[in-house]
Amino acid sequence: MAIKVPKDREVPFGAITPAPVKQQELFITSNWRIVRPVIDHDKCTRCFTCYIACPDSCWSFNEKEEKMEWNWKFCKGCQICIHECPADALSAAPELDFEDGVVRLEKPF
Amino acid sequence: MAKVTEITVWTRGVVMDKEARDVANAFSQAAKMEGKFVQAFDNYEDLPDRVLVTTRKYARISDEEIEMKYLYTNAHPDVVVIVEPTIVKGINVLKGMPEGGLLIINTNRSIDYMLKFIPNADLLGAIATVDADGISGIKTVDFSGSEGGVDTAGIGAGIAAPLLGAMAKVTGMAKKENIAKIVTNVAAMERGFNEVKIQKFRKSRAEYFWGG
Repeated sequence: MAIKVPKDREVPFGAITPAPVKQQELFITSNWRIVRPVIDHDKCTRCFTCYIACPDSCWSFNEKEEKMEWNWKFCKGCQICIHECPADALSAAPELDFEDGVVRLEKPF
Repeated sequence: MAKVTEITVWTRGVVMDKEARDVANAFSQAAKMEGKFVQAFDNYEDLPDRVLVTTRKYARISDEEIEMKYLYTNAHPDVVVIVEPTIVKGINVLKGMPEGGLLIINTNRSIDYMLKFIPNADLLGAIATVDADGISGIKTVDFSGSEGGVDTAGIGAGIAAPLLGAMAKVTGMAKKENIAKIVTNVAAMERGFNEVKIQKFRKSRAEYFWGG
């Protein structure tokens, strides 16, 4: 999903990106995460508090399915969304409980 | 040049940085008491100042003087210690390991479950787990001992102690009695020594003793 920038306007990596609401190549920090937020879509009221509270915009609204979507590749597991959720729809689960979400990076960060 | 045993300790920045530093420093110090030549390094390549970012600590143990003193990263770790078990999902922890190496994980999960997250586990000579979080649970956050400073918080007060006990038993490179002289929490170290679980594979090499 690289953006095509003309040669004469080239900038360093990370200077121009699409808004970080969707998963992007090279923007992978999921190996920082120990705890994962798990959403209960029945309890979720679509109040967007998680979308506002997340420092890295890892929550977005899927308009087709009408539910919140989690960016598992960029989420660092800071748990702010879990603490902020007024409907108690989010809960913390240890990352090792899940066998998915494995991203092995070449560099440690 | 004599065989140098390389030990890499994987940890997470800031919150478990001190514990991993204690593992590398105290283990090599205990080996030094037994007349071995050792080196221990804090991390300079990764980013240890960011919370939860995976970082490494290094130690080297040899029977003869170690000549590679200008390289501080271990390219071919024989022993890999993982202070926080979720790291196996984010990093290829066995990168560069020669066949028959040893992996020690701090976890209360079963060895079979942890092996699911290690795709290149056929390299391993043995895998060991110890529930250091359950035994000690304390994570000292202190930077006074990094970069050659004096460790004011004491060495091996938290989860480093059970990990060191497990390493003493499984690697056999440093004696438990010598580690007990260094660590603060000797009882946790003894529990780690006694409660470590080990699974051996056929690939273990003759030059190493992965046992207990």
